[in-house]
This record gives sequence, C-alpha cells and structure tokens, in this order.
Amino acid sequence: MPIVNHGLALSRLLGTRVTDSSGAVAGKVREVALRPQEDPNRVSGLVIKTAHGDRFLVPSMIQIGADAQVRASSPASEWPHAATLDDFFLLERDLLDQQIIDVHGRKVVRVNDVDLHPEPANGGVNLKISEVDVGLRGAVRRLLKGVAPAGAIEAVVRKLKPRVIPWEFVDLIETDPARRVKLRIDHERLSQLHPADIADIVEELAPAEREAVFETLDEEVAAEALEEVDPDIQASIVESLDPERAADIVEEMDPDAAADLLDQLPEERSEEILEEMEPEEREEVVELLEHGENTAAGRMTTEFLAAPEDATAGQAIELLRAFEGGVESVATIYLVDADGKLTGSVPLQRIVLNSPMKPLKELTAHPLVFVHESDKQNKVAELMDKYNLYTLPVINREQRLRGIITADDVITLLREQR
Amino acid sequence: MLSRWWIKLLLFFSVVGPGFITANVDNDAGGIFTYSQAGAQFGYSLLWTMVPITISLIVIQEMCARMGAVTGKGLSDLIREEFGIRATFLMMFALVIVNFGNVITEFLGIAGSLELFGISRYISVPVCAVIVWFIVVKGTYTSVEKVFLGASFFYVAYIIAGVLAHPDWSAAMVNTVRPPSFHDFHNSAYLYMIIGLVGTTIAPWMQFYLQASVAEKRVSIKQYAASRLDVIVGCLFTDIVAWFIIVACAATLFAAGHTEIHDPADAVVALEPLASKYASILFGAGLLNASLFAASILPISTAYTVCEGLGFESGVDRSFKEARVFYWLYTILLAAGAGFVLIPGVPLVKVSILSQVINGIALPAVLIFMLLLINKKELMGSHTNSRLFNMIAWSTTVVLILLSLAYPFTQK
Repeated sequence: MPIVNHGLALSRLLGTRVTDSSGAVAGKVREVALRPQEDPNRVSGLVIKTAHGDRFLVPSMIQIGADAQVRASSPASEWPHAATLDDFFLLERDLLDQQIIDVHGRKVVRVNDVDLHPEPANGGVNLKISEVDVGLRGAVRRLLKGVAPAGAIEAVVRKLKPRVIPWEFVDLIETDPARRVKLRIDHERLSQLHPADIADIVEELAPAEREAVFETLDEEVAAEALEEVDPDIQASIVESLDPERAADIVEEMDPDAAADLLDQLPEERSEEILEEMEPEEREEVVELLEHGENTAAGRMTTEFLAAPEDATAGQAIELLRAFEGGVESVATIYLVDADGKLTGSVPLQRIVLNSPMKPLKELTAHPLVFVHESDKQNKVAELMDKYNLYTLPVINREQRLRGIITADDVITLLREQR
Repeated sequence: MLSRWWIKLLLFFSVVGPGFITANVDNDAGGIFTYSQAGAQFGYSLLWTMVPITISLIVIQEMCARMGAVTGKGLSDLIREEFGIRATFLMMFALVIVNFGNVITEFLGIAGSLELFGISRYISVPVCAVIVWFIVVKGTYTSVEKVFLGASFFYVAYIIAGVLAHPDWSAAMVNTVRPPSFHDFHNSAYLYMIIGLVGTTIAPWMQFYLQASVAEKRVSIKQYAASRLDVIVGCLFTDIVAWFIIVACAATLFAAGHTEIHDPADAVVALEPLASKYASILFGAGLLNASLFAASILPISTAYTVCEGLGFESGVDRSFKEARVFYWLYTILLAAGAGFVLIPGVPLVKVSILSQVINGIALPAVLIFMLLLINKKELMGSHTNSRLFNMIAWSTTVVLILLSLAYPFTQK
C-alpha cells in the first residue's frame, strides 16, 4: 500500500470551482462519473453545476491544478449538457459513505474518501481512481472541509496514517438488480476468496446486500460459501433468492448440507426449490431429508466412494479420478458386495502405497467400523474419535451402505453442542 | 405444577426480545429518580404525561424496530449512508455527550444504592466499573443479561407498594386522563420535569440500541409481527411501572410534604408501605440492579453506535489493537462516568434529572433523522410510515422543541 499519496482526494475535487477558457468561474464540480461497463478505473467525466444547469466535461477537456482547481479548455457556453446519469457510477452518490468489500483484507468497510490520480494526457487530463480511503485521514478531511482552509486541512491530514484499499481490491455492493446489471458488478474478485472468508463477509452485510452478493456469485462458489454461513443466515439468504437460482446453488452443495438447509426452510419453500432441482440431486436430498437431523443418517452425505469386493487398487484410483464429491469424502474407499452390503473399508493411503494390481480386499482396515442410519449423532462422534477416522460409513437395516459421515461434519456438530 | 410454572417462565424469556430489554434498561437510575421526583414534587398532577409519552414511545420504538427489520441496518449506519459523514459526526458527538450524562447517572445509582447498605461510593463505584468492564469485554454478557432481566421484576415492587400506599385512586385516574391546564406551563419547574420525563422514557440512545439489536438479531420483515408485539409489550411495561412509581411517591412523599428528593434515602419512603423496615433493602437492590444493567449496556452501545456510524472497527471480538477507537471510547465513557461520581459534593438526584432533561432536549434531532429515513421509499419500500405515525412522531418532535424553547422563558 502506498504511504505517500500524490493523488487528489475526491472530497477536495467535489465543490471545487471550475473556470472556463476565459478564466471566469462558470460552475462547481457536483459529481465524478464512471462508466464501469467500459472502464472500471478511469473517470468518464465531471458533472459541473452551473447557473444554466448541469454540464458534463470529459477529462480531455479539462486541466486540474495542484490546488484541485479545474480549468476547462473551452468557453462555458460550449460545455455539453449532462444527459441522464442513470448509467453512470457516481462517486459521491454511490461510493462515499457506503459499505464496500475489501477483498484484500477480507472484510466490509466504509468509504471515507476516494483518492484519484490525475495524469496529463494529450492536452487534457487522465483521471483514474487509485484507492479508497477507509481511515481517519479521509474522515477528518471531509469533516473539516469548509470549516478550515484547504491548506491547513491538508497539513493536518498528512500527519495521519492513511488506511487505504487499492481500487483493484474493492468489490462493490449494489442492491438494486437493475443498476447491478448496468454497472456490471459480478463480484469476480470476491469469488476468488476462500468460501469461508466469503461467508464471514456475507455475515457482516444487511439482508438485501447478502442477497445481491449471492445472486451474482458463481453457483459453485455460492454453494461452498453458503455451506459456511451461520444456519439462520443461510435460510434467510435462500428464502430471498428466486427458487430457480436457489435450486442451482443447492444442487452444487453437499447433499447433507443441502438437506440441512432445506430442513430449515418453510415446507412450501423447500418444495419449490426441490422441484427446480435436477432429478438425481433431488432424490439424494429428499432421501436425506427423511431422516431426523440428530441421527447418523441426518448427518451423512451420499457422496462417497464404493468399490466392488473384487476390485484392485488400480481400479480404486480410477474411481477416485472420476469422483465429483468433496475432498473430505475420499479418505476411505468402501467395499460393497453385489447386494450393496458394506463388507470392508480401505484407507486411501494403503491404496496409494500398494501396487495397482493388489486386490482391495487384502488392504481392508480392521475392525470394520460403521453406524446404523438411526444411531444417535453422539455415537458417531464417539466412534470417529475412538478409531481416529476421517469418514464413517452409515448402513441401513439390510446392511447396505447408504452414506458416510465426514470429520468436518462432526466438528460442526461438536461446536453446536458446546 | 412446579414444572408448568417453569415452562411458562421459560416461554416468556424465549419471546423476550430487544424491545423488552430496551424498555427495561429505560427504567434505569435516571428513570427511577425522575419518576420519584415527579411524584414527590407534583403529586398526581404529572400523571397525564404518561399517556402521550407512552403513545409516542410505542410509535418511535416501532419505527426503529421496523427500520431495523426492513433494512437490516442500524440507525447510525442509515444516517451515514443517507446524510453523509458530517451529519453523522455531529449526531454521534451529541450522542456521546448525552450518553456520558446517562453513564454518570448509572454510577450515581450504583453509589446511591450501595450507600444505603453503608458502602462508601469510593469503594462501590470503582469496583463496579471494573466489574462492568470485564463483563462486557470478556464477553459473558448474554448470560449476565438474563440475570439482570430476571431481576427487573424488582419493578413489580413499585406496583405493589403503590397499591399498599392506599393512594387516592380516583385522583390518580382523573389526573391520568385529564389534559393539563395551560396555566401549569408557566411554571418552569413543571416544564423542566416534563422534559425530564420525556427524556428518560424516550431516551435518544434507546433508538440506536433498539434498531441495532433488531438488525443484529436478523429479524426479517416476515417475523416482524412478533417484534412489534415485543416492542409494544416492553413500552407498556415500562410506562406502567413509571406510572406506579409516580403514584407510590405521590401517595407517600408528596402526601407527607416531602417534596424534594436529594438522595436515594429520601426515595426509600415510597416503598415503605410494602416493606416497612426492609424498604431500603428493596429499593437499594432494585436501584443497584437497574444501574448495573444500564451501566453495562450504555457505554458499550454508545461505542458500537459511534464506531459503526463513523466506520471504525468495532466489536468485543476484535483485539484492542484492531479496534482502538472502540475500546478507548468504551473505556473512557466508563472510567470518566465513574470518576465524575467520585467528585465530592455531587448532588446525586439533581445531576440524574439534569441528564434526563438533556436527553429530552437532544431527542428531537434523533427523531428528525428517523422520520426522514423512515419516509424514504427507496429505503423502506412499502413499509414507510403511515400518516398517523408520522403525525404522532412529528408532534412529539415539535412539542419537545417547543418545551425546550419555552423553558428559558419561564425562568424568573
């Protein structure tokens, strides 16, 4: 982060006098406009308030002095009228004092000021946003503006330690869907964070803002982040999304997480979402929904690796390659007979460490530990702790393998019980 | 039978929400002193204020709860986003000043209540300040909240005491519904007390606190009906207690010609019909509970409000280094508030009532912001204020401004 700032503060630019080519003051800067759909960094123009209505000056028509004075190169009578500003992102209206997401610091902050960077360019000026001020410096500058002389204010704020976020690490929150489209906010930067960090950020936002973020996140990212947020918030987010979008996200979730989530929603709502889901995913989730939340089956996921009893280590690795489930589920590969009954469990490391021709049957771990669907979740935690398991298989009355419980679910469970 | 009773109590606590808590904190030391003084000084003749105050309180608190549910944001957040940093700063500055007065009042309550048990304020106040600091910063606040809330049933003592004091019921009832005569308003002490009564019942900080709690609790607009009920019940409970405190004091203190309360010991008399020689224990315990509870909520909620509005890091889950302004503000409010009480010769009750009057003078500014915000369509959608609500809230604002302006003119 740059410590020395040679930029121009938005707060200084706003309200500053604008002279025309004759040197006469013809107006004041009212707004600074950006067209993010064209260029997210470069200022498209200044909205100038004049006695004859608002004018729009593009940067190539002006010069900006060190004292933040704006000089236009044409007579005021030739300044173009400001047409509709609907498509623009206006720095004072849309950015100052609003909340933004600091992607770098992984948190939500409030904008106190914006630092612009003017560069001379073919007769005019090229004005770029360099960073957003979220610290005391911007706050003091704006509080004192008009109260103390500009020079004195700058002398004071220069002594303050700046807290800034480079513009490229800023993610905007826009709750109005129509504007979001115009501004092309797609939370690209946000979606590159770890889902758990996205979840933390989302928890700090107001409901409408959360919804806005989730509507534009990539489905896969949204699903992973959703799994990490507090269950109360989870439900309120999913309820606010339209069923089709909600279904797309829920499909991407771990089936057990999806089932837990739908279980929290009013029945009508979860039915709606289930209807929109792909049949295959829906079936898995519906099955899980039928089990009580506090039973082993209510905690399990149906995404697991099962191999026939006569498979070899090499075949197991092939299965692993084709597996689409989460990484937490692959610690053990389970053996099932022709009826689907659980007959053995083979830890992943044994498969990897043996020759591909080795039959899995010879690698099974003893004893074969499992729980029944209706077993209480406390038993699950006990067994996993006792045998140091990463995953625990769940079987039904006919001994058929129904799903597995992963260690991360048990950690969640233990935290809930605390 | 016993288990049923417990279930009922548990059910009650499960619905107790931000509205009820806010209303209860409202009956803090400043409240108890102001209501007592009102009864002692003017007998039943200020009871009429309870009706308009209750209506205003319900309307205003409902507005806050609604804004919190619809926007999911606190009042200071909304002021910042809609009116900019300067308006927010001025509002926050005023709030810190006003709340500092309230914090002082809570420590006055702590000092006064424990002095009834013979404990010097030079011991009780610093000890309690440290306890409060640790309770909040070490984060065991929610469990403590339940204890305080349970103990708020001390207030029921006033209701019983009011009944046992055999007040003149018909005079009390008539004075509750009879509009005041214009002549009364020429009396500056009367005006002063009215502003204090409004200020203590509808304190500015409560609006920030309530809206932030509703937003924090993630009450959605669908669950809002329950929240509204919580707010209404809380307001009614507060004001019924206030009414009985005035009646109890009118029937005992005023009737005995004891019209000036200088310290808590004077006010103990009001509880004598209920507890005779134990009255001072009952009064002291109730006052201590109210003061401690409010002393733990007020400074922390002030620090939250200010930091959120101005965009500083806040929250007890952050480290001191991460949220410096937050911790300093909290600590200074607490320490300076406690320190003020230790200045020799500070008149307990007078300062308490003065701080409630300042609340009343500052309230209109908060109300104006609230009204501007809640009537914004972009913000509230279809949940903007109804005409009736606007009328009540605007009248409260205007009347308070007029009272504050009129007060200097009545001084001779």
